[in-house]
Formats: sequence, C-alpha cells, structure tokens
Amino acid sequence: MAGISMRGLSKSYGGDTDLAAVADLSLDIDDGQFVTLLGPSGCGKTTTLRLIAGFIAPDAGTIHADGRLLSSAGQVVPPEERGMGMVFQNYAVWPHRTVFENVVFGLKLRRVPAAEARERVKRTLALVNLTGLEDRLPGQLSGGQQQRVALARSLVVEPEILLLDEPLSNLDAKLRERMRGELKELQRRTGITFVYVTHDQAEALALSDRIAVIHGGRLQQLGTPQEVYARPASRVVADFMGLINLLPATLIAREAGQVRLRTAAGWTMLADVPGAAVPGQRVEIAVRPENIRLQARTGADPGQPDPSQPDQRQQPATVTESTYLGNIMEYHVVLGDGAVLRVQTHPGQQFAIGDKVAVRIDSSRCSLFEVPAAGTQEAQGADA
Amino acid sequence: MRPAGKVGRAGARLLPRLETCVMAAAVVALIVLVVLPLLFLLVGSVRGEAGLSLEHFTEALSGRLYVQALVNSLVLGAWTGLFSIIIGLPMAWAVSRTNVPAPALFRITATLSYLSPPFLTAIAYVNLFSPNAGLINVFLRDVVGAPWLTFNVFSMGGLVLVTVLHTFPFVFLLASSALQSVDASYEEAAQILGAGRLRTALLVTLPLIAPAVLAGTLLAFVNAIALFGSQAILGLPGRIVTLPTRIYALFDYPPQYGLASALSLMFIVITVAALYLQHRFLARRSYVTVGGKGARPQLIDLGPARWVLLGFCAAVFAVAIVLPYGALIAVSLSKSWGLSFWKGLTLDNYRFVLFEYNVTQRAILNSLLLATLAATIAVLLGAVIGWIDVRTKAKGRRLLDYAALVPLGLPGIVMAVALIQFWLTMPVALYGTLTILLLAYIGRYIPLGVRAANTSLRQIDASLEESARVLGASWARTLREVTLPLIRPGLFAGWLLVFVPVIQELSASILLFSSSSITLAVAVYNLYETGYTEPVAALAMVNMAIISVALLAAHWLASGRARPAADGAVRAGASG
Repeated sequence: MAGISMRGLSKSYGGDTDLAAVADLSLDIDDGQFVTLLGPSGCGKTTTLRLIAGFIAPDAGTIHADGRLLSSAGQVVPPEERGMGMVFQNYAVWPHRTVFENVVFGLKLRRVPAAEARERVKRTLALVNLTGLEDRLPGQLSGGQQQRVALARSLVVEPEILLLDEPLSNLDAKLRERMRGELKELQRRTGITFVYVTHDQAEALALSDRIAVIHGGRLQQLGTPQEVYARPASRVVADFMGLINLLPATLIAREAGQVRLRTAAGWTMLADVPGAAVPGQRVEIAVRPENIRLQARTGADPGQPDPSQPDQRQQPATVTESTYLGNIMEYHVVLGDGAVLRVQTHPGQQFAIGDKVAVRIDSSRCSLFEVPAAGTQEAQGADA
Repeated sequence: MRPAGKVGRAGARLLPRLETCVMAAAVVALIVLVVLPLLFLLVGSVRGEAGLSLEHFTEALSGRLYVQALVNSLVLGAWTGLFSIIIGLPMAWAVSRTNVPAPALFRITATLSYLSPPFLTAIAYVNLFSPNAGLINVFLRDVVGAPWLTFNVFSMGGLVLVTVLHTFPFVFLLASSALQSVDASYEEAAQILGAGRLRTALLVTLPLIAPAVLAGTLLAFVNAIALFGSQAILGLPGRIVTLPTRIYALFDYPPQYGLASALSLMFIVITVAALYLQHRFLARRSYVTVGGKGARPQLIDLGPARWVLLGFCAAVFAVAIVLPYGALIAVSLSKSWGLSFWKGLTLDNYRFVLFEYNVTQRAILNSLLLATLAATIAVLLGAVIGWIDVRTKAKGRRLLDYAALVPLGLPGIVMAVALIQFWLTMPVALYGTLTILLLAYIGRYIPLGVRAANTSLRQIDASLEESARVLGASWARTLREVTLPLIRPGLFAGWLLVFVPVIQELSASILLFSSSSITLAVAVYNLYETGYTEPVAALAMVNMAIISVALLAAHWLASGRARPAADGAVRAGASG
C-alpha cells in the first residue's frame, strides 16, 4: 500500500550546507501508521513534511511512496500528482468558498459525478461532525470547525497518505485535546497513513504509533511513544521528551547485565540499562522526575554514603522548593554534593521546604548517556 | 502621591488645557477648509433665481451638453479602469509570483508612471501624435507612406492611453501587495488536492485578490475622471467634453455658479460612490492576510516566457516614460519641431522660459512656496486629527476622521468650485490670491496628512506616551519629546506625499489662480494654450526638474521606517 521511504534526504536553504534544514535523513513510515515528526521549531520537521508533499525539492536523497520514486535531487513529482492530503497549521480553508465548496474541490478536480460528490461530501462532513454547516463561509466558523473543514477537504478524496502540519497548534487547550482524540479515532477508522508534525511532545505521545524525533535536521530516534519516552536514545531526545534530571557519574563495572555507577558525590548504584559504555567511562544518568521517590527522614541521619556498601540506593537530601501542580507535587531537592534533582510525587505526599528527605532513584527506569571525552559537565538539575 | 494628583487635576480645571485648544483649532480648521465650502456648494446648487429650486439639477441632467460630459467621463473612467487592470495585473503578478528578470524595472515603471504629471504626458503625446503635426504621424504619413497607421491623439483612445499611463499603478500596487500577502498555504492546499498551477491561480489566487484588484481599478477610475489637464489638452480639440472641462467652461463670462455647483455635486456623487465601493472591496481583502506562519509562496519559473513579460514591462516603460519625456526634451531643444528638428538644436527655449517669459520665475516661486506651506500645514493638521482619532475617546472623533477623508472624493475642480462659492460670500477678498490656492491644496490633501499620521500613531503603543505622562510630563511636552520624534519618519513621508502632487496641481488651480498667484502647472498649461510648442516643452522640463529634485531629496532623506506610511497614503489615492 502506501508506506513512505526516505533515504539520505538533505535540504538546505540559501545553498548553505552548514545550515541544512534537513541533513541526511532516512526514515521509513509503514502503511497505515500514525507517525509523528517531533522536534523543536526550526528542527527541520516541517521541511521534511514539505519534502514529502513535494512543495520543495531535496538537495540530495530520495523519497519513495508505495515503491514509486517521488523525489530525488533533480526530479520531483509535483504535489498535485502525488495524491496525498495535507492539513495546514493555519487550516488554509479558502475564505471565499463555502464549507461545501471547500470540501468538494478535490472531487471536482477528479471529475466525480455531482450526485456522488455531494454524497461523499455529506459523508465526510458527518465524519468530522460538521453536518448542517455546508453553506457557511469559513469566516462564520470557529477555529475548531475550520480545522475540521480542512480535515474533511483532505479526507474526502480518500488519500492514502495524509500530511498534517501542526494542525492543532492554533486551537485552545480544551479543543486541542478533543480534536486529538478525534484525529486518532479517524486514523484508526480510515487506515490512512498519517504523517503528523508537532513540537508538542504530549501530543506526539498521545497520538502516535511511531515517533520520529528530529533535531538539527537529523533523525535522533524512531520508536514507539513508550520507547522514545522511557528509553531515549540520546540526551537530546531525553531532554525534548519531557523533564529530566541528569546526574554526572562514572561507570565502575558491568555485572550480570547491570552496570555499577558512581555519581560525582560518591553515590553508587546498580542500574539496569543498555548501552555500550565501558568501565571507567564518564556518563550521565538520566532519570525522569516521576521515577524518583522521596521519603521522610526523621531523627537518625543515615549519614554520608558509605563507599564500601555495594548499592546505596538511598541518598539524603533537603527540600528547597515545592510547587503544587494539582495532580502532582513537584519538589526540588538538593543532594549532599549540591546537585539539584527535580522530583514529582503524588500530591498526597507533602513535604515542606527545609524538610530532610531520603531520595531513591528507580534504577530500572534510568538511561545512561556517554559523555564525550572532552566534556566535563557540571551536575545539572532538571532541564525542561 | 495622592495629593499631587489632586492638585494636578484641580489646576487643569482652572484654565482650558492646551490640548483642548489645539484640538478645537484643528476641528475649526477642518470645518473651514472642507465642511463649509461643501455646504456652500450644496446651497449654491439649489439656489435659483427665485429661492430654492432644483432647476440647476434639472438642466444638468437634461441638457445635451451636460449629459454628454457625464457620459464621456464615465466612458473615460471605464476604459481607463479596464486598461489599468490589463497593464497593472500582469505586472503585479510578474513581480510578486514569478522569477521575471529585473523586477526592479517593474516597480520603477509603476512609480515613475504614477509620479509623472498626466498633463505633461498629454502635451508630449500631442507633439508626437497630433493629427497634422505630430512627429510620429508625420513620419508615418510622409516618410513611411502609411497614413492608415497614424494615430489621432485628440480622441477618446488618446485620452485613455495617456490617462492609463498615470492610473495603472493603482492596480499594480494593490494587486502586488495582495499577491504577496495571500498565504501560500491556500495555494498549496489546492495543489495537494490535485490542481495544477493554472487551475490554482484561477480558482484560488484570483478570487482571493479580486477585491484588491477591483479596489485598485476603482481608484484608477476615480483619479482618471478627475484629471483636468489631460482632458482639456486632448479632449477639447477632439470635442470630447468631460465633467471637469464642462465645469471649467461654465466659468467663462458670465459664470454660471449654480449650474457648476450642481454638476460638481453630481461629480462628487460618482466619485464617492466609487470610493465607497473601493472601501468595501478593500475591507473584504482582509481575508488574504488571515493565517499563521504560512510559507512564502514559491516563485513560478516561467522559463522563456519571462522574457515576454519583461518585454511587456519595457514597452510600458517606453510608452509611459521614454517616449513622452524623450519627446519633451527633443521639442524643448529644437528651434522648430518637425522631422528635421535635430538640425537646429538650441537652448533658446530654456532661456526664453526662464529669463524672458516673465511668468515663469513668479510661478516657480509661488509653486514652491505653496507646496511647502500646504504640505507642512496638511501634515500638522493631519497629526492632530490623527492623534484625536487614535489616542482620545473624544465624542465625534470618528466623524472628524470621516470629515478629514471627504476630500478624497472631491475632484480638484470641484474643490475649486466649492471654495469659490464659499469665499465669494465671505467679507474677505480671497479669490485670486495665493491664500485661496493654499486653502484648496490643504483641503484637497489633508487626507494624506491624516493617513500618514494615523499609520504612524498606530505603530506606536500608547504606553510610550502614557509613561511620559505618568512621569509628570505635560501633554505638550509629551508630544514634543515622545510622540513627534517617534512619528517623524511617517509625517515626513506624508509631507512629501502632499508636496509632490501640490507642485503639479492643475485641476483646482486652473479656476483659482490670478496673474499674481499663477503656479507652475498653470503656467505650463497657459503657455500651451497660447500655442508656443517649443517653449512649453522647455517649461515642462523645468517643471519636471523641480519635481525630480524634490523626489530625489525625498528619496535621500526618507528612512526605511517612513515607507509603510508612504505606501498607505499612496493607496489612499492622491493625484495631481
């Protein structure tokens, strides 16, 4: 059917290869999947989408869809001959045409008989919950309704691939959440391959079968939402996928599939993480705030970590900041060596600023990133 | 803090505040300049031999001469509008959407065509295409032997040609700005659904920019029918009488003020109706800028066809600029204009118009003085009116704003008729003085001043002024130290936009001048009327030289920030 295969795709604007929007990007999108291109603004995700659509030509590399060569450096099938659908960030619903006229446009181009076209428009409008608004002009519709018109306009021609460029970013939070659910449902029902661009990691996690994290024009990781969130392939991915704490450490030994680590402050722990790091190498332990436990530490101070202990999972710390976020509590705690950790707990567990706590890291949910030889990174708190 | 505030407020109550006085003065000025003359025009048109009467309107609507003038004006306006699209739209599309070579040439062609005074172009074309003596006609008839190729410029065709050269930039300007602001995703959405370039252009782009194109066309129409000079120079010899020339004729002794007023009001109705439609279309244009980031449209690669477009533009440039000014220069340097004019090149004509023709120097001084004063006053008045509209909540400020825009709907000759009606009944003798010309110019071009000030003021957040007030600065001091420095580039642009048309103003001046208050444009026209072919060309070139110097100075002085205001005001539709 209609999978997309990108090989060695490169594109730079203004001929400056140092500032490539997309650099040597290879990515396979399977048929019928919901794949998200995720990354910060300017990372090249929209360029990638526009390359797939055929609005721009790659400097190098190829794009195949369903085995057919669509784009290569010298040869580009124009967008109108690709049979794809696209939903734009600003909807691009033509303001001078009614809802019906917008949606029927693609069918008219395909010379679908009027009666059938009317029937199909009606069906598609029902699919996106717009029944009864056929004769409205886009100016009379809300943002969410315009977004559905744009969707209907793309879906009515039954494309095998639908490209969506941040389609929800102009909607308010509540509507965004509802449209998110509808999009996912729609994709499941129609079986169309969705290529979805967003900078919102929560959106990507909620919607996708696969997430392709793009940064600096390069593909950083392709995986299921779980893989990308829990096992980020690099610090860049970890950073982008949500809050993360990074603790500088040294890998001491590998033992029985686990690695023994010692942090800068001398805190040792066994962690169950994959990776190619070898003993003696400097690494960073990445742990998400929700994978750290806090316990009240009353009376007896467990004291300084004892290096002779094989695995000291607990570490004394002091609460320096506490923020109530409704469904969770967020704390900043300072370890003995001054490193700050960001921790999220159930709101039932309350600590006050200045409270002495014991910190415990869930070492099965950590990631390890190798630090380049030159890099001597300071202990870092959470990065958003 | 609180006591200080109280003292300040109490002090303000005791004497009338400076800002109140300034604003009141601006309002009074606007009333005297625009509102009262219009009222007197209205009164004059319904005052018959015996009290109130509609006899003037009856005659204006039934007399063959007047109906013919009305029809001619409408025909002229319609053809001009149509050809403005035919020339302006392809050029706008070329620069905004294609990889046409030398896009700067397109913009320069449009700008120069707009700035070039139509009555000078008309004089130039008479020298080339008058039926008997026009150089090109003579050449075609006597040398080539193809009399059927000759072109009589004293015709509706000639009038449309010369007028279009001045008005197509309105369509060009509005269409190209609309084309640039159409969000590319509108077109991409059509493409991805399977529409090719041509279909996308016809089904999506064209409907989106249609309001802007129509608005430009209406501006072209309004400006075209208001031009007295070209219509007198080309129309009268060909017996094509239009509204401005008919109204002008009514001032031959004995002047028929009532009829002139009635015709003027009909003229206003046409113009205002067109401007109202233009406003409506332009308001609909707002939807072309809807949307978020939207990628810039890709330029269409035209291949070899781009040279065709370039050729088209070069042809327009030749017809609008090279041909008329080449002809004027040639005529001005020749002893006797004809096929062998180059055998007797001379500077005598310049010597004559500059040093022997005693009108020229006076006219130059008058024009420079009037243009400087009119531009300065119009801009200052515009700044105050704009400030009231943008910054205060004063009651009736919208009305004030509309009143200041009314002159856009007043053709120059109508403004002159209104001023005559008003000031003839006043106990001060202004008729024939420089003052009445000054009043006419300020009245006509106040909309440009208001537009420039409005645009600049809207770009400056009110908090910049408020923070000065909070720190204790008075209104006058805030104005002097914060507001005026910030809007100066915009005001300067507005100043030039008034200065340039005033120095070539003919339509109103022709009814208001006297031998002592003669202006440069009137001097050119009068010299032409008396039949001096070669000296007229020399004087026309002197006129152009002065305009060019003013424009070059403007270009040199204008900062980048001044430009948006300038664009906006040009769109408001000034004409000479």
